This record gives sequence, C-alpha cells and structure tokens, in this order.
Amino acid sequence: MEKTRENRIVFWLFLAPVLFAFLMVVVVPFFMGIFYSFTSWSSSARVGGGLSFIGLTNFTESLTDPSFLYSFILTFIYTAINVLAINIVSFALALLVTSAIKGRNIYRVGFFLPNLIGGLILGYVWQFIFNNAIPGLGKAWAFLAPLANPDYLILADRNASVLALVLVGTWQYAGYIMMIYVAALESVPVELHEAARIDGAGGWLRLKNITIPMVAQAFTITMFLTLVNSFKQFDVNVSLTAGGPSTMFLGKPIFGTELLALDIYNTAFLANNLAQGQARAFIFFIVLVVISIVQVRTSKKREVEL
Amino acid sequence: MKRITLILIALALVLTIVITGCKKEEEIAKGPIVLAQGKPEIDEQLKAYAAQWSEATGIEVTIKSCGGGSCDLGQMLKADYAAGEMPDIFAINGPQDFLEWQSIVLDVSGEPWVKDTSVAFTYEGKTYGFPVAVEGWGMAYNADVLAEADVDPKSLVNLAGYRDAFAKIDAMKADLGLDSVVSMAAGPEMGWVTAHHNFNSLLSNGLDYGDTSAADNLLAGKVDAKRLAEYADWVELLFQYADKAVLTTGNYDAQVGAFATGKAAFLHQGNWVDGNLAGAGANFDVAFAPHGSMEAATEGIFVSAPSFYVVNSESKNTDAALQFLTDLAGTEAGANYMVNEAGMIPAFSNINLNPSGKLSKSVQEWAAMGKVYSWNQYLFSGEFRDQTLAPIYNQFANGAISKARFVDLMTEAFKSL
Amino acid sequence: MTERKRESLALEILSSLLFVIFLLPFGIVIINSAKDAFSVTQYPMKLPEDWTQLFRNIANIWTSPNVQYQSSFLSSVIITVVSLLTITFFSSQAAWVLVRTKTRASQLLFLMFVAAIVIPFQIVMFPLLSWFRIVYQATGVKLLRTYGGMVISYLGFGMSLSIFMYHGFIKSIPYELEEAANIDGCSRIKTFYSIIYPILKPIHATVLVLNGIWIWNDYLLPLLILGKGNRVMTIPLAVSNFAGAYVKQWDLILTSILMAMVPVIVFFLFAQKSIIKGMVQGSIK
Repeated sequence: MEKTRENRIVFWLFLAPVLFAFLMVVVVPFFMGIFYSFTSWSSSARVGGGLSFIGLTNFTESLTDPSFLYSFILTFIYTAINVLAINIVSFALALLVTSAIKGRNIYRVGFFLPNLIGGLILGYVWQFIFNNAIPGLGKAWAFLAPLANPDYLILADRNASVLALVLVGTWQYAGYIMMIYVAALESVPVELHEAARIDGAGGWLRLKNITIPMVAQAFTITMFLTLVNSFKQFDVNVSLTAGGPSTMFLGKPIFGTELLALDIYNTAFLANNLAQGQARAFIFFIVLVVISIVQVRTSKKREVEL
Repeated sequence: MKRITLILIALALVLTIVITGCKKEEEIAKGPIVLAQGKPEIDEQLKAYAAQWSEATGIEVTIKSCGGGSCDLGQMLKADYAAGEMPDIFAINGPQDFLEWQSIVLDVSGEPWVKDTSVAFTYEGKTYGFPVAVEGWGMAYNADVLAEADVDPKSLVNLAGYRDAFAKIDAMKADLGLDSVVSMAAGPEMGWVTAHHNFNSLLSNGLDYGDTSAADNLLAGKVDAKRLAEYADWVELLFQYADKAVLTTGNYDAQVGAFATGKAAFLHQGNWVDGNLAGAGANFDVAFAPHGSMEAATEGIFVSAPSFYVVNSESKNTDAALQFLTDLAGTEAGANYMVNEAGMIPAFSNINLNPSGKLSKSVQEWAAMGKVYSWNQYLFSGEFRDQTLAPIYNQFANGAISKARFVDLMTEAFKSL
Repeated sequence: MTERKRESLALEILSSLLFVIFLLPFGIVIINSAKDAFSVTQYPMKLPEDWTQLFRNIANIWTSPNVQYQSSFLSSVIITVVSLLTITFFSSQAAWVLVRTKTRASQLLFLMFVAAIVIPFQIVMFPLLSWFRIVYQATGVKLLRTYGGMVISYLGFGMSLSIFMYHGFIKSIPYELEEAANIDGCSRIKTFYSIIYPILKPIHATVLVLNGIWIWNDYLLPLLILGKGNRVMTIPLAVSNFAGAYVKQWDLILTSILMAMVPVIVFFLFAQKSIIKGMVQGSIK
C-alpha cells in the first residue's frame, strides 16, 4: 500500500512541471483561440471597440477573401514543389555521400551546414544574392549580361519568386533530410548489392529494386517532415520576399508570394484583425492535421506493399 | 535521504515557477519609459538624445524605431498592445491612426509646449499629439545635373514640363553619367513611397492647403476620371524613366543611393534624406520641384507636420513621458537634437535653429512662399494603402499591368471604400 | 575496374562541385562583410580590396545600439541553455513515470502530449499573448518580454516531441533494473536519477540537438513574446530588427549575419558527430 501511494505521488510530482507548461502555453491558448475566432477580437484601442460575438463571420470572410484563398493555393503549390525538390536533391546527395568517394564526411558536413542557420537569416542572405550578387555577376562579365538586365530580376517576378522560396527551402533543408537517407542507406546490407552486381544487375536496377525498397521507412519520415515544414514556412517568406511582388487574383490585387503562415500573421497585425487571423490559423490547423494523417496513412500502406 | 531528495525536487519546482517571473521591477519614482517611433533615419540621434536626457533626469528611456521598409510601426504597436506592452510614448500619423488608438491617447492640452506650435494634433478641440517635425517632399533634383542638361527647374510644374525634361535628360544620360533619370522605388517594401507619398499627388496637388475635397470624394467612392487619368500619366512617366532594378526590387538605400552617388537626376523622396545625402558625401546642389501630376501647372510641394508623439494614458509613467516631451520642445538640448543632430525642421516657434540640410532648406523656402499642398494620404487607412493600393502600384511598376488597367484597378479600389 | 574508377572520379567531381555550390552563399556573406556600403552594392561578387574592413564592420556591429549584439547573444544563450535544461530534465522524468505507471490517466496524458505534436504554433500564438497578459494582470507574474516566458513556452512546445522520444527509449529499458534498485531500498525518485537518467544519455543528446537548433534559430516565438527592439532580444530578432527597421546597409547587415552564423558553425564543427547523429536519431524515432 505504502508503495502505491508513493508511486502516485511521484507520478504527479514528476508530471507537474510539464503539465503546468502544457496547460499554460498549449491547452489554455488553444481553447481561448477557438473562442476568439468567433468574436470581433482586435488589437486596437478604438473607442467602442469591445469584444462581441459575431458567429461564423470570421470564417466566411476568410473563405471569400481572395488573398486568403490565394495564399492557400500558393501554399499547396509551394509545398508540393518543395517536398519534391528537397527529397530528390537530398536523396541524390545521400547516394553521393554513401558512394565510395574520398572525403565523404566533409561533403556531409558541407551539405548539412545551411540547416544550422535559421530561415530568417538565410532569407536575408538570399535576398542579397538575388537582388545584388546575381545582377553583379552580369555587370562584371559581358557574357553574363542578361543577369544584370532588370527585366530578369528574380524577386521582381511572381513565379520566379516562388521558385526562389523553393530554392532556399531546399538548400536549407536538403542536408538534414540527406542525413536521414544516409542512415537508411547505410543500413542496407552491402552483401545484397554485391550479390545483385554478380547477378549482373546495373546501377539503376539495383537502386530501384534494392535501395529504394530498403529505405521505404525513411521515405515516410522524410515526406512527413518536409511536408509539414514546407506547409508551415514563415521565416524565409518574411525575410526573402516579404510577400511581394504583387499579382492579381479573382480581380483583386494581392501579395503574390504570401504563404499561409505569413497571411495569418499579416491579417492579425497588418490588417489589424486578430480574430480573423485566429480563424485563419484554425483553418490552417485543420488542414495540417488532415494532411498529416493522410500522409502517414498512405506511407504506411505503401511501406507494407513494398 | 528520501526526504532530502523530495525537498530538492520541491525546490526545483518552486524555482521553475520563480524563474518564470518573480523578477518584479523595482518601483522607482518615475519611469522607465519606452518611446516607439517610425523614423529609422533619426534612430541613432534620438537614442543619443534620450541617453543624454536620462543622465540629466535619472529616468531611463528606451527608444524603439520601426519603419521605412519591412518594419511597420502600426504592426509593431498592435503586437505590443495585444501583449499589454504598449509604449509610454508612441508615434501616430494623422487622424486614422488616432482613431485606432483613441481610447488610450492622453489629452495633452495643458502642456507648456502647446502654445508654441500651430501644428499639434488636435481632435474635437483638444490637443493630443506632439508634432515631431515639419516635413516635405516634391521631386528632389540634382541642380548641377539640371544645369548641365540645360533644364530650368522652373519649368517643372506640370506633366508637359516633366515630359520634356525627362526626355531631354534621358537622351543625355551617358554624357551626364546617369544610370536613369528618376530614382523611384515601388518594390514590395516600398509601398510607402508609392501608395503613401506619390498617392498624395492625386489627393492634394493643386488644391488649397487643407482642402480635402479630392480625398473626400474618393473616400465616398466618387472618382474624378480626368484627375485620375492625368495622375496615371504621371505615375507612368516616373516608372518609365526609373532604373528598373531600383524600381522593382530596390530598397530605400538603393533608391536614395542612386541619387546620392549622382546616378539619377531626380529622387522621389522628402527632406528626411538630407542625412543620407550627407552621409554619402553628395556635394552637388539639391532642391525640390513640384510634382507634375496634372496638365495644369501646380506650383508647390507637399509640406506638413505629419507625425505626432502621443502619450499612452494607460501608462504608469505618464508624468515622465510628459516631461520628456516638454523637455524636447523646451530645452536647448532638445532643440539641438531636433535641428542640428536629426536635421529636422522644428514645428515650434520658440526654436530658432535652422537645419543645415539642403532639402530641408528647400522645404522652408517653399513654405515661406506659402506654396505648399497638404498631406492627405493619412485620411485613408493604413490597411487600404498598404494592402490594396501598394500591390496595384507594384504591378504597374513590374509591367504586369497596363496604364488602363492601373486606372481601372484604382477606380475599383476607391469604389470599394 | 577502370570503369568503376572512372565512375567514382565523376562522382567526386560532381560532389565537390555541389559542395562549392552549397557553400557559395556563405562565401558571399564573408566577402561582402569585408566591404564598405558602396562596394557591397556596386561589386558584390568581387573579392574585397581591404580585408581590414571586415574588422571595422565587426566592431561596428559589436557596438551598434540597434543590434545590441553582446546582449542579444547572451540572451540567446541564456534562453537556449535554460530551455534545453528544463526540457531534458522535465520531459525525461515525465516520460519515465508515464511508461512505468500503467493507469488510464497515464495513457490518456501520453496520448494528449503526442497529439499536441501536430499543433502548429500559429493557432496558439495570438491567444498566448493575451493569456500571458491576463496572467500578468491577475498574478503580477510577467511572462511577456521576459526570459521566464520564453523558457516556459519552449518547455510547453518542446516537451511533446521530447516526451515521445524518451518514452520510446524508456520502454526498451528492462524493468528488472529498477526492481533491483527498489529491493535495495532506493526510493522511486532516487531510482530515476541514479539509474535511469544516466542510461538516457543518447536520447538526451538527440533531444538537446533537435530542440537546440530549433530554439536558437526560432524567430516567430521570440518575435511575439519578446518583441522587436525591447530590452531582451535574441540573435534572429536582433538581425531582423537591424535589417528590417533600418535603411538597408547591406555591408553591415551581412556582417551581422556573419556574426550570427559563426558561433553556431563553430559549435557544430566541434560537436559535429553527435549533432548529426542526434538529428537523425530524432527523426527516425
């Protein structure tokens, strides 16, 4: 009896700090947020601007706002390209650094390096590269002159800017994903490859029939990580493009590279509509949950099939 | 042993709660105060003055500067307010901003500096805002280049005048050592140049000082098609003769830098660039010419005391905040900071110093002649200018839309108000 | 054999090419940190003429009142270290009791913590501000603009994944180990700290690395909790405050970026093996 009482005390004692933090920063704000999304919550000090219930208005207004719909579609497109780009690049890098080349470790470290730096700082670095360094190349060498042509400025074009976001995202994240693939590739028994080689299987065939099935579990993880991280992209968006350049959508001029996370932030503080920002965050959350579940389910199924 | 471990753990728990916050600030008689302002170009000088003032009074002052590009003061203030960390003094621009914060702005009608200024922010007969400075903009020109190109600044009063001058200078670019005729910026971070400053040409150019009829009509959704069409010609003209890289992706530094290094003959900015010009070692003569946004001649530049420091009535340190403002306007050190250090044109009659910047002098000359037009852009909400108008200018600058489409979109935007 | 050799030579060339491309942006930051404002915009791709400019720029940032490099660096260190300590300490003990206690409450709590992994920060960030404000008004405990608020937030947002990882590992520790200690008369608490805690070393490394990189580089949370330009700023906040609020002086912005990156890279090069291992372990778990 004495023992179970002690156990119970220790149980709650050990859980107390995390439970406290969890309640403070996750549970309470989460439910407050749901409440706020149905109100006229704002952060200005207008006279007569109190809190009132406005039902589903925030949600209906969000879903009919071209800039939100645009951000939504853009985020999906960005996520799709980004997931593909990161996984292809990092898988290729992983194959490279697990092949029998000299200095593999140095390459691994080099490819991993951008991952250590925050997206915000990397965004500034690349803004400088796109706006100054690349045109600078064009100015310095005549044969690269088109690079200096202001008509081809990357961050002045909407589509190119989205691809710039992908490029920076890939550059930042590929090293990390590569490491996961490396771990998976290194667990593939060498004998398998040797046996296949003796049987006359070429490189491509071995890749398709041995390597990829053996690292299927890694794909589940990398897909999940890249998907969720791309969908939540904020830091690089803020510092690299700040939402620009502008474009038209449903007849309304809007910011052309504003991803969802930035749209939520701007709705709350730029357009001064905290409640609607909260409602958008709620929609964002639901979509994220659905994506996560669907992704994990299909991957698990594929894993079994392979 | 058991008990000791338990006590240790309990202590650790208490400690976590303690570090999460029991560092309560000691109560001093006055202050510390926080001032948030939107002019990064005077940040350094203001911080230096604040440090000097702190030393004299023993009240600590923190200066937060946010503006001029990707930092939006309104956005920062809203986040601060939501966090319950509203600064004790903060800057507002015009009536729309005031309404945003009305319930926490302290009435300062009884302050000693009120009698020394005619441009304080007032609302329904009460004084609320301390005018930061008198500011103005027109088309800043490099007088040396204009002289060399034989362009008379006096001809720059309407569209025709500018068309001729721009074409003439453009043809002589190589001889004059220019990259472009006008240094103009319309990139994602530069909406304040287009959708705030340039936009004001549409609202007040050619109208009597204080006449808000053009703005009022637009706010009511009534668009004067002729005025807008001429204005669109003006915007097109500016974009057409601008350096495209600066126009579409350049920031403040790139825009002002092109002019300061003599690579552009005109600059679409105000007298606040004096410091940047001096910093870049620009030694040519500069002055302002009126905007040419109409076919009719408009002889005057846009002058106003557009931004105001207001005191947060919910602050615990209103006394210290009020004293800071009183000293800023009423002491020699304050005047020295405003005029000599920050290079601003003071909005107070008791200050007899004059800024040494050439563009500030030009503003004062135009003002002395009474040839001034108002700043009416603040009659429109920040959201409308930044979220609706700025993207329209940006697309026009990028060449994504035609002038006709620009006019349509502007018209639609006003109709939606 | 020769074909294999040729193949590996091609791979080596490809790798070194990619290596250069990957590191080029860092090179651009370094060469442009050693230029003045004029040549940084005019000749961004040239090697600097005078490398001593680098030290002048560094000195400039070191003392700049806008970056507040020294205090921001210190704040970043304090926030990261204290958060990491609380996360490893509290998450591991929580995970342990969750594994070893087989009750409904225990299972339910674990499920709740794990479910919280998918909650994006965006959905709680705005209410978090007003909630912390309410806490301050009600109790006088200040969480906004303070280290305490940052640490408790990182514990709250970092604990879910950490508990999940500790949980998986602790499950694989045979219970007999603890039973033996129990028989020896050890209390439960002592059992954990003297027996289990040391065994968790590899997971500690993983938790430290994953959370460390996140916390050190995080922007959105400090932006909201600390705000720009206040007394406590982290390195990312300081850089963005400098790059965003000030007119864009690329020479100094790039120098500040360089100074933000160097400590992390140096730290990484020292602990490279365990960091990479930690990150990979963390993702596979």
